[in-house]
Amino acid sequence: MHRPDTQQPPSPRGILIAVAIAFIVGSAVLVVAILPAEFGVDPLKTGQILGLNALAAEANPFEEQLIPHRTDSVEFELGPFQSVEYKYTLDFDAPMIFSWQADGELYYDMHAEPAGLGADYAESFEQGNGESRTGSFHAPFTGIHGWFWENRGSRTVTLRLHASGYFVDSTVFRDGGDYSRVINPVTD
Amino acid sequence: MPHCAQSRSFYALTAVTVLTTLAGLIPTLAFGHTIEGSDANFVQAIDGPAVAPFIYLGAKHMVTGYDHLLFLIGVIFFLYRPKHVIEYVTLFAVGHSMTLLLGVLADLRVNAYLIDAVIGLSIVYKAFENMDGFKRVFNVEPNTKVAVFIFGLFHGLGLATKLQEFTISDNGLVVNILSFNLGVELGQIMALSAVLIVLSIWRSNPSYLRHAFATNTVLMTGGFILASYQFSAFLLQPAY
Repeated sequence: MHRPDTQQPPSPRGILIAVAIAFIVGSAVLVVAILPAEFGVDPLKTGQILGLNALAAEANPFEEQLIPHRTDSVEFELGPFQSVEYKYTLDFDAPMIFSWQADGELYYDMHAEPAGLGADYAESFEQGNGESRTGSFHAPFTGIHGWFWENRGSRTVTLRLHASGYFVDSTVFRDGGDYSRVINPVTD
Repeated sequence: MPHCAQSRSFYALTAVTVLTTLAGLIPTLAFGHTIEGSDANFVQAIDGPAVAPFIYLGAKHMVTGYDHLLFLIGVIFFLYRPKHVIEYVTLFAVGHSMTLLLGVLADLRVNAYLIDAVIGLSIVYKAFENMDGFKRVFNVEPNTKVAVFIFGLFHGLGLATKLQEFTISDNGLVVNILSFNLGVELGQIMALSAVLIVLSIWRSNPSYLRHAFATNTVLMTGGFILASYQFSAFLLQPAY
């Protein structure tokens, strides 16, 4: 039966060869894979051959949009315990920026409903009480995206919303009914 | 021939260990070892003491931190007695705790890529030590405990730079850093236990010593990869 030899102490030469192998293999991995995949540096064209260069592509700060953006301003008056819901129709990933301001405290809930699925699939992003909010938004899915405001005080509050984004229309939900508003593109 | 069959199964185990280590290395390399995504959002949004989340982040950083893990594998590779494991790991922990706390609290700014490159080189150093390289090639025997402690200092600076990438609120800073540090130690204990289990199974077989040299060569390769990757990032990544 073959018995394994007792471990021979490594010779200085053997150690240096092992270090050289480790260094060469490490450098090869760096040059062949890591440099192209992480930094887009491709000295041996291995990134091109193996398709690794795509991994190094950085997110372009510019995002093309297919429709001109639109700007919208609306005003609502909310009596005590009245509420309104206002939402923009946005495609997946479409950006929107907004500011709203009221002359009294309102309860607000910024949320969205996926197209065709309705309120059961609504997703809420922020809730609170306040007189103003400002923010930017990337639609997490295609659907209607906006706010629910409720006046929980005892006097009438006026609310003004300004928004710009890649929406084409909005929907107002108020007093048990709803209606659409078409918003004109800025380039018209 | 029971011995041969057993030895073959340990070859298989060796191969599996090395392959899973390498396979684990590849996807994580692509992301770099930082605090990311929702964790990063969380760290930045926090204002005030948050003990449990920072313990979790510290532990996660350690368990998923292949650079720290490879170094620890190197450190405990030839430590057979629990007493020695505890001694060396404590030295490492004291070292990295000092610079982690000092780094963040004194707002010591060091380039994260350079520190991570040194951490990669610490793996190379430890593997070379395990190969008996210092004694046989250079005829010197640097103190192994001092080395582990000094590299612990560098690993701690690395941990500090990861937290410093965010504007952490001063509110509850000390509590949060201490929690992060505690999490790092807990994560280290968890990772070490796993490594020790695998190593001690393997150690019960003669193939352990036979392949010790080759294993440390692989470890050293990993160290070279990490060091050169981080150094490339230092040279090529734009600094904003």
